[in-house]
Amino acid sequence: MKDRILQTLRDLRAYAVSKDIEAAFFYHEEDSYLMRFANSAISLNTNEHLIRLEITAYEDRKRASFELITDLDKMDEMKQGVDIAAEMASHAQPLSYKPTVPEYRETFIDESGYDQELATISNEERLAYFNNAARGLETDEIKLSGIFSSGGNVTAQINTRSAHLQYFKTSDAQVTIVLSHAALKWEVIAEQSAQKKTDLNPSTLHRDLAFLLDHYQHDTPRQIPLGKYDIVFGPAASGDLISMMNWIGFSGGAMKRGFSFLTQDQVGTRVFSDKFNLIDNPTSLQTFPFRVDVMGIPREPFSIFENGEFKAFTWYQDDADEFGAQPTGHTVMHFSLVVNGGDRDVSTLEELVRMPRENDILYIPFLHYMNIVNPSKGLITASSRFGALLLKKDGSVVVPYNVRITQSLLDIFGERVAWISKTQIANNTSSSYGARNPTAVIVPAFIQVNDLEISHSNSSY
Amino acid sequence: MREQLQQQIERLKAAGATYVDARWYPLEETNQLLMWNGNLKNASSSRESGAGIRVLYKGAWGFSASSQLSNLDMLFDKAFDNARVAAERVTFPIRLAEKEAIQGSFTSPNRIDPFTVSLADKISLLKKLDEKLDQPGVSQRVCELVFMRKQIVYLDSEGSEIEKNIIEVFPSIRVMGVDAQGVSHSRKFSPPRLSPTRGWETLDPQLFSENAERIVREMNEVLAAEDCPKDERSVILLPGIMFLQTHETIGHALELDRILGYELAFAGGSFVKLDDFGSLRYGSSRLTARADGTIPNSPGSFGFDDDGVPAQDNLLIDKGLLVGAITGRQMVEEANARARKQIFSGSSGANRATSFYRVPIERMTNINIDPGSDGTLDDIVRNTEKGIILDGEKSWSIGSNREQFHFATDIGWLVEDGKVTRVVKNSTYRGETLKFYNSLSAVGDKSTWEVHYVDNCGKAQPNQIMQLGHGVPVCRFDNVKIGE
Repeated sequence: MKDRILQTLRDLRAYAVSKDIEAAFFYHEEDSYLMRFANSAISLNTNEHLIRLEITAYEDRKRASFELITDLDKMDEMKQGVDIAAEMASHAQPLSYKPTVPEYRETFIDESGYDQELATISNEERLAYFNNAARGLETDEIKLSGIFSSGGNVTAQINTRSAHLQYFKTSDAQVTIVLSHAALKWEVIAEQSAQKKTDLNPSTLHRDLAFLLDHYQHDTPRQIPLGKYDIVFGPAASGDLISMMNWIGFSGGAMKRGFSFLTQDQVGTRVFSDKFNLIDNPTSLQTFPFRVDVMGIPREPFSIFENGEFKAFTWYQDDADEFGAQPTGHTVMHFSLVVNGGDRDVSTLEELVRMPRENDILYIPFLHYMNIVNPSKGLITASSRFGALLLKKDGSVVVPYNVRITQSLLDIFGERVAWISKTQIANNTSSSYGARNPTAVIVPAFIQVNDLEISHSNSSY
Repeated sequence: MREQLQQQIERLKAAGATYVDARWYPLEETNQLLMWNGNLKNASSSRESGAGIRVLYKGAWGFSASSQLSNLDMLFDKAFDNARVAAERVTFPIRLAEKEAIQGSFTSPNRIDPFTVSLADKISLLKKLDEKLDQPGVSQRVCELVFMRKQIVYLDSEGSEIEKNIIEVFPSIRVMGVDAQGVSHSRKFSPPRLSPTRGWETLDPQLFSENAERIVREMNEVLAAEDCPKDERSVILLPGIMFLQTHETIGHALELDRILGYELAFAGGSFVKLDDFGSLRYGSSRLTARADGTIPNSPGSFGFDDDGVPAQDNLLIDKGLLVGAITGRQMVEEANARARKQIFSGSSGANRATSFYRVPIERMTNINIDPGSDGTLDDIVRNTEKGIILDGEKSWSIGSNREQFHFATDIGWLVEDGKVTRVVKNSTYRGETLKFYNSLSAVGDKSTWEVHYVDNCGKAQPNQIMQLGHGVPVCRFDNVKIGE
């Protein structure tokens, strides 16, 4: 199949060259499977096999693109797409800068992230995984929800500047299991990200769900008072916060457009806690990485924050072209963000709950519906969800109703960071909007931040 | 192709499937143009075609989709296989509410198909808009045109055959500026649906020109303004934010799949329980909300849903009382069975998929608030002692059961003793859904009612983006926390 894909791209390139069209081709093929559970049943079992081809045509400062869902038998349709893109480019308005056309100096093939066994995991195996992860935990009132999303993904690129190609093949799985009380409406969650089949371990999810269930079934639920709390964020919450920082923090284009809480002047200065280190690390297979970006720039580990010091903005090629900056190899479908572990020896929720503490701690595993209130201030708002716990300093545990935090990322990752766990976890942040794009952020299992404000506290689940 | 699809449907029925439907998209096209500070950053088009097959077997769904339709046997068999596996874990066997078999068609009203308009003309419009926005105080100018055209052929094993041809136009302009503290502020204009059609002809240059001037002026006022106070007062929501308030805290809260727990793994649930229908005081007596899939000029009107059920106009909240939900055929049956009484008499025609490769789910049509009898915006302001007028969606975040929310808006105007006093920046408000709607103290008349669209409503796994509308008047709510 790989040879056929590459030959198709070569043929399309030859067609564009023969018509004197400057073009870049981006091929995306997914074989996606999703088993969804709700109310303890399989509510949907679906699959799709789709091939997308994006053709970007250039004419000096003009650029336009045409995308089609197609298949490899439809060469005429794809060639027509080349003509359409070229026609659009000819009528487009010139940009105020010259867009860089990709140019590959060598062919790059990377299939290291692909595991055939995971990509083709069967319906029966996915169902067995769910049955194992939830064994003995469901009741008439406690219902199972979740997804097992898995598949294989190919992206490949070629352009008219050279005959070299780039080809990436990955496999991935994203598992989410939610147990919820049908009448009381509380929910607890456990998640897993897999790059290869051996990453899948339903017993880990079973352990976490059983532990949370025990508390949600037996501990007293409570509306907690508004005010400041020492908060421990779980991996899903941290992953979401880091993803948001990617959007309104260290993107050079966002900074130039006034959509960032960081400025050029802050490069080389400390803006976060010295415990905070963030790297874009394409050597981490768990992040489903790209070792070369779409422009052909090799990607190496790229430090964004080191001991709290802001090291550099990331530059997407088009932003770099527009603002006269150097591209940094970040013209990719997703980054490979890794937050370093710290020095606190706590790996599981059970260990966190057992840990001696001087103050009450609010554990927030998940932040629901995060949005940006003010990008210039890094101000975000979100609600807790999926199994928050209030760990009292006397060792007891209270189940809190959900709360809202409205806080700046500068505070969350700033001087109020108390500790970061040594253990890191791959938090799968994939969304299934549009083309499959398996994404994960490596984050510490737990990050404690002191004195964060709770602005709203629910009076029930 | 229709004949082949029908043969496949009959083949699976003969093999034991309870129900089968096929959605064939011969062609779906989009065209997106984005001009940012005068640069045509995005000029892109897309085309796709394919089919999605849904099979019900022993009370469970299976779905399969492909753009490759040369092997229909395989596509249909895959959907059937998926249903067979799903049938191994069934707790409430799926049943579908009754409907009539329909031979029908729907074409969205438009005079000029935007796909017949040249790229040069589209870019020319964008350039004019961009020039209009290029004013002192403006650091970023964003003009966007999005066009969609799709043909959908629906067939099912109950004898329905429906063809839909839908065209949508989504234009917007936006300006951003930076205040003295280095904080960015923006103001946006997405025109309300004023004409009865949905094509290129709806892009009124004069309307854009007037509103370009307005949003630049208002953004500059925001740049020079003081911060929104942190206190509690009446909020007067203009349609430019009321549509989103309605979307998030009435629309999503009343999707029956959310109420029944089918979205708990992702989008969330709803604070509404089945027992609440007919008894829950959702809002004050001024609140009447409906799901109206029949208004002509909105993306929430599509003729027939993806269960093959015709568009309807149904009450959701009648003078404050919860009476209806947003439903498809499956959820209605399950809700009635679970409640052990008939709450819903049938599907409300709101089951939709975003593309051929996604399965239909409960989606909003046009979730509207009826105009009230509290007069014009001026009348409402005149009758407000301490308030703030809010407009423009800047940020929105809602609790997982839609029980509470936090919104930030582009602009706020303080109201003191019946008069607008000054503009404020960084305006926000938050509340608890039921308490909020029960504090509804004024609803503007027909002169304040506007249809706004949402072109990016996300839900479900695999995720789906949907387009829909909201017809809403100016509304005032009392004792609301602002400025947080």
